[in-house]
Amino acid sequence: MTEMNMVQALNSAMDHLLSKDKSVILLGEDIGKDGGVFRVTEGLQSKYGEDRVIDMPLVEVGIVGMAIGMALTGLKPIAEIQFQDFIYTAMDQIINQMAKLRYRSGGDYTVPMVLRTPYGGGVKGGLYHSQSGETYFAHTAGLTVVTPSNPYDAKGLLLSSMEYGDPVIFLEPKRLYRSSKGEVPDGEYKVPIGEAKNIKEGNSVSIITYGSMVPTVLNIVEKHKIDADVIDLRTLLPLDINAILSTVKKTGKVVIVHEAPRTLGMGAEISALIAEKAIDSLLGPILRVTGPDSPFPYRWEEYYLPNEKRIMKAVNSVMTYG
Amino acid sequence: MPEDSEERNKFIKAYTAMVLSRTLDRKIVTSQRQGRVGFYTPTMGQEALQVGASMAMETADLIYGYYRDVPLMLHRGVPIETIINQIMGNDSDRAKGRQMPSHFSSKEFNFMSVQSPVATNLPLATGAAYALKYQKKKNIVLATFGDGSSSTPDFHAALNLAGVFELPVVFLCENNGWAISLPVERQTKVEIWTKAEAYGIKGVKADGNNFVDTYEKVNEAVKRAREGKGATLVEATSFRMGPHSTSDDPTKYRTENVEEGSEKDPIVVSEKILKQRKYVDDKMIENIKSRTHKLVEEKFNECEKISPPNPSTAFEGVYKNTTWMLKEEVEDIL
Ligand SMILES: Cc1ncc(C[n+]2csc(CCOP(=O)(O)OP(=O)(O)O)c2C)c(N)n1
Ligand SMILES: [Mg+2]
Repeated sequence: MTEMNMVQALNSAMDHLLSKDKSVILLGEDIGKDGGVFRVTEGLQSKYGEDRVIDMPLVEVGIVGMAIGMALTGLKPIAEIQFQDFIYTAMDQIINQMAKLRYRSGGDYTVPMVLRTPYGGGVKGGLYHSQSGETYFAHTAGLTVVTPSNPYDAKGLLLSSMEYGDPVIFLEPKRLYRSSKGEVPDGEYKVPIGEAKNIKEGNSVSIITYGSMVPTVLNIVEKHKIDADVIDLRTLLPLDINAILSTVKKTGKVVIVHEAPRTLGMGAEISALIAEKAIDSLLGPILRVTGPDSPFPYRWEEYYLPNEKRIMKAVNSVMTYG
Repeated sequence: MPEDSEERNKFIKAYTAMVLSRTLDRKIVTSQRQGRVGFYTPTMGQEALQVGASMAMETADLIYGYYRDVPLMLHRGVPIETIINQIMGNDSDRAKGRQMPSHFSSKEFNFMSVQSPVATNLPLATGAAYALKYQKKKNIVLATFGDGSSSTPDFHAALNLAGVFELPVVFLCENNGWAISLPVERQTKVEIWTKAEAYGIKGVKADGNNFVDTYEKVNEAVKRAREGKGATLVEATSFRMGPHSTSDDPTKYRTENVEEGSEKDPIVVSEKILKQRKYVDDKMIENIKSRTHKLVEEKFNECEKISPPNPSTAFEGVYKNTTWMLKEEVEDIL
């Protein structure tokens, strides 16, 4: 065990993968000599060579398309898109190739790869370095979408993603890159894909969240001594339906927190699932605390992100309901 | 000193804009280190090529620029306050601080609002050029971007469209040698200007360190566009003398650099050109520099006193008519 931040944990996972298996290849913009703009791939090119940690020309559609081709041909690529906001020219490759190859080839062609990208706001990045676009991916059959909220899960999920057999969109909450710290095993271990984690037990209200909002929610729950059951989803597609239903059955009161815009955010799907499968357990309305339906601003980002005031308002309102 | 000639005035104006941009650049970078500014993409090294290009443009021409185009804007006449207010994201910023610093906009001077995803302005420029041609206007479009941006699908789409529709647009590639940490030799196997041929448009290379050479090449391209002879790709080569941005540490990947005041510094090159033609002497240069310094200090301090925009502005202007969802959300937020 070593204490690491999320950047170091991800770096340690990729270092492990590169050392273990020669078919593992990293590709992305500025990931080699520069070590990545967030330093996640620091030192890996000098250790494993320029043909394994590839500094790519500025073409996201090329990075993703090339990675898919590599995966189809016996390599195990981990592609990086510098900011999730710049992934959109590659969406055709992601949605129409990556996600559909297994299906359209009857399983003859599969795409075992990981596409890593930092997402989310709170780093003064404005409109184009702050987006939380998880819904775009979670709305696409054939993709698997994960997002860690701490260093331990980051490494464990990345190691699992590489063995998953299908393409994994690996969303890294950049606000937590350095602020989130914790003990991380030095060797190999797995955090299973598709499993949420009950990170704090309680009986009065369920708070369902993921990624960058997890530490915020935990701090507020502790500060106000709320008897909350807190679920960190960790995988967004497929959702851990058992974890969601069991917390709803336990508390009957649900608040969902994410920073992506409210309309058709993950909260919408979670609410619908609860309404369909556990409406009898509900003791109040399901409330969402999310980013608003507007672009992410540079100035006043603290107003955009769900904060203590808004989360507490929702928690108090469901807890006192009825 | 020769009499006031048209060329002399033009050249002094060009040189002054370069010095103003350089002075402002230094001021912003220093202020960023002091925590007075959040972020910036320095322009140092690209002054001559941008001012050279701007000299060939009219105010009614449309500029689809990118985040490093401060010298171009200043030469065009965009007030220095517009730039500083944007950098500070204060209440006088047109976008009320919604965008990151370096993402300028000036409709008054036909300088299109800047986005971060590189080269996505280029297809827009072809649409604007189509419109101008359709409307039988004599004005044209200038679209700028970096060397790294030439790898994007948007670049290739735009050049192809400009060729097919014979559009009045000039693509100016500001080749500063780097795309963050990737040198241009690793970005593409050929010189960028040669890519024009594949799309049936004209391609030329300019010495971007020499504002006269860049002016002449861009001016020729502008003339062709105005005469309905179609698009040109101009590659102007220069140096990125600073880091990619204030968040970047170039020592990780770059060993050599063009130092300020050295022979390759475009400001030094420009001084030589003006002196050779006897348009200025050392005293005038000193005068321009000290006047500029004073102006930058003054304007910067003035703009810094402007209060921040109201937080509510962060949630305005998404639509002509705001949605009920956003109204509801903002009520909860504020
Ligand atoms: C589509 C896209 N991908 C990645 C980025 C991140 N990024 C910002 S600037 C930059 C390099 C751009 O290089 P170049 O086009 O040469 O322009 P320069 O910054 O050198 O002026 C990169 C990779 C981006 N802004 N847009
Ligand atoms: Mg460049």
